[in-house]
Amino acid sequence: METFTDNILAVLLFTDLLLVGMSRLSGCISLVAVQGVLVGLLPLFSPEHVNPRSIVFFVVVCALKGVVFPVVLSRAMRSVNARREVEPFVGFGWSILIGVGILAFSFYQAKQLPIPSALVAGTMVMPAALATILIGIFLIVSRRTAVTQVLGYLVLENGISTFGLATVSGIPLLIELGLLLDVFVAVFVMAIMIYQINREFDHIDADRLSTLKG
Amino acid sequence: MNTLGNLLWLLIAMPLLGCLATLFLRSSRAVLHIVSWGVPIISVLSLGTIFSVFDRAPVFTSGEWLLLDALSAFHLLGLYIIFSISSVYAGVYFSHEPKEQELTLPLARRFGALWFATMATMALVLLSNNLGIMWVGVETTTLVTAFLICLHTSAVSLEATWKYLVVCSVGVAFAFMGILLIGAAVESPGGVGAHVLQWSEVVVAAPNINPQLAKLAFIFLLVGYGTKVGLAPLHSWLPDAHSQAPAPVSAMFSGFLLNMALYCIMRYIPIVEQAPGCAGWAHGLLVVLGMVSIGVAAVFIISQHDLKRLLAYHSVEHLGIIALGLGLGRLGVIAALFHTLNHSICKALGFFSAGRLGQIYGTHDMRRISGALSTHPTWGVGMFGSILALIGVAPFAIFMSEFLIIKAAVETKSYWVLALFLAGAATVFIGALKHAVDMSWGTPSQSVRPQKASVAERALVFLPMGALLVLGLWMPPAFWNFLEAAADVLKVPSP
Repeated sequence: METFTDNILAVLLFTDLLLVGMSRLSGCISLVAVQGVLVGLLPLFSPEHVNPRSIVFFVVVCALKGVVFPVVLSRAMRSVNARREVEPFVGFGWSILIGVGILAFSFYQAKQLPIPSALVAGTMVMPAALATILIGIFLIVSRRTAVTQVLGYLVLENGISTFGLATVSGIPLLIELGLLLDVFVAVFVMAIMIYQINREFDHIDADRLSTLKG
Repeated sequence: MNTLGNLLWLLIAMPLLGCLATLFLRSSRAVLHIVSWGVPIISVLSLGTIFSVFDRAPVFTSGEWLLLDALSAFHLLGLYIIFSISSVYAGVYFSHEPKEQELTLPLARRFGALWFATMATMALVLLSNNLGIMWVGVETTTLVTAFLICLHTSAVSLEATWKYLVVCSVGVAFAFMGILLIGAAVESPGGVGAHVLQWSEVVVAAPNINPQLAKLAFIFLLVGYGTKVGLAPLHSWLPDAHSQAPAPVSAMFSGFLLNMALYCIMRYIPIVEQAPGCAGWAHGLLVVLGMVSIGVAAVFIISQHDLKRLLAYHSVEHLGIIALGLGLGRLGVIAALFHTLNHSICKALGFFSAGRLGQIYGTHDMRRISGALSTHPTWGVGMFGSILALIGVAPFAIFMSEFLIIKAAVETKSYWVLALFLAGAATVFIGALKHAVDMSWGTPSQSVRPQKASVAERALVFLPMGALLVLGLWMPPAFWNFLEAAADVLKVPSP
């Protein structure tokens, strides 16, 4: 089973790298959806194998991250007429280089973390989780459009879920569902905000939101 | 097990009912009425419930989902005080709004429903025994309160809301990482089992958890929840959100939202401090972050021109003082808890005054507000008094709690902390006093007409101020015992 987990995580890392180099927003949205489904797959291959709990979780995750979020975000994107990430703070060439750097750093750092190996299902878990979290943060700080910032938040959350699903076995289903519900509402609220900001500003560059200072 | 404990669910159910009720009302006046009458009534009922259930020993609901001990009871007291006065104030404030910002029915419904929902989720955070549920509650408060900031849609209020949403969501996500690490730390020696996230069990298991993971977890938790507390340098959202939100919302943010996030950090202090070899480690971090916050706030307070932003930076300063107190031994913790309540009451009064003066003068720019004491004596006194109290003038209660923190610093022999704290407090004192004097005296511009205060307005100014004066001059023994009991939940050894 560990090889399955490792394979899934390898694909997850691959999507991370694709994300930092992609400028088309619809492509980014699909990539984040794929990531979400991948993370939902993880509990099915956990040491406890398939049980009702992991199946419920998988179904809910697929529905939310695979279907609902992409739909909500693409509608928000279309309504504000932002198809591409134009001129991010960090250029795409540099972004990919930084992405690779993050990957290397994660593999190095994961070895240093004092997580007992008995807890972790597979050797790739810590590096993949760490890299996904860092890439999420990188997307939030390096991109201009509000939609990409929401995507960055989702990537960050995927990283944290990966870490949680693979390391802590005792989290009750209720809490995981609560967490998902919160992310769901967060995406919704952010999408509504994007509509409103757009109506007020006629654009959604989050970097123009900078009147308030001091 | 005490079956009476199940009554605790009422504390969450009652505000939710209020939330539903607002959605069926047909006029904005009715919504405001139900907020300004309903919230105090719910608060009294809730405090009654707490009083009848409360016990020296912690009280659980069945299944141990909710927990009431002295620490949560103390914070609930603060919650209900702040929500009650802010709700009454909301009725006053929104009836004085200028024509173009009048509350229409959809806006009033939005305000009422979100206001009650915030109250319910905050009660959930304070009561939950499960660290995961507590996290879910905190993230929910972020989402619920976001639309309260941009109640009046404008470019700047949307900007503040977006910043608040993104910064706090990302910050709080880090806290979840910390919770997972605590779970891993508890599991690693092998076998606490299914309840890894029940606080009451984790705190008992704490002496046997993995110390390295516990330390790492605390860093994540401090950064995560610290963002929501507004500890510098994680405070970037705070002045914007506080200044753009309508005054009752700012009062609730500053008076309770920040404390609630700090309460979450408090719950982890005994876990990390009891881990093998970690004694004093979490305290040290809190002291450092507290000092940084006081310093950063002092700089911004001197150079501030906007009244509400001034008050917001005071929040950064005071939450820093509270974090500092939490790191200074048992007396420090008692002082910090006392300071929490004092700061909340005082800051609510400050934002009340800033809101009404802002309506009267049509601006929050302190350079254009002058002669407040003659224009509107009641709110002028409220503004001047609250700033005096905030900067620590005797005999207000904040002076007493700061004095206790100084005593705690001397007791724990942390003299450099004491020196830096005094320097920061002195800077704030001079900076803010100048602002307050300039606004209170002088001649108001011709366009501003003096106004009379209603009974409710007088009560809103003089009750909180009276409470601060009484607590500053006389500490009721029962209240001191209550503070001690709450501080003992943090399991800090006395030096």
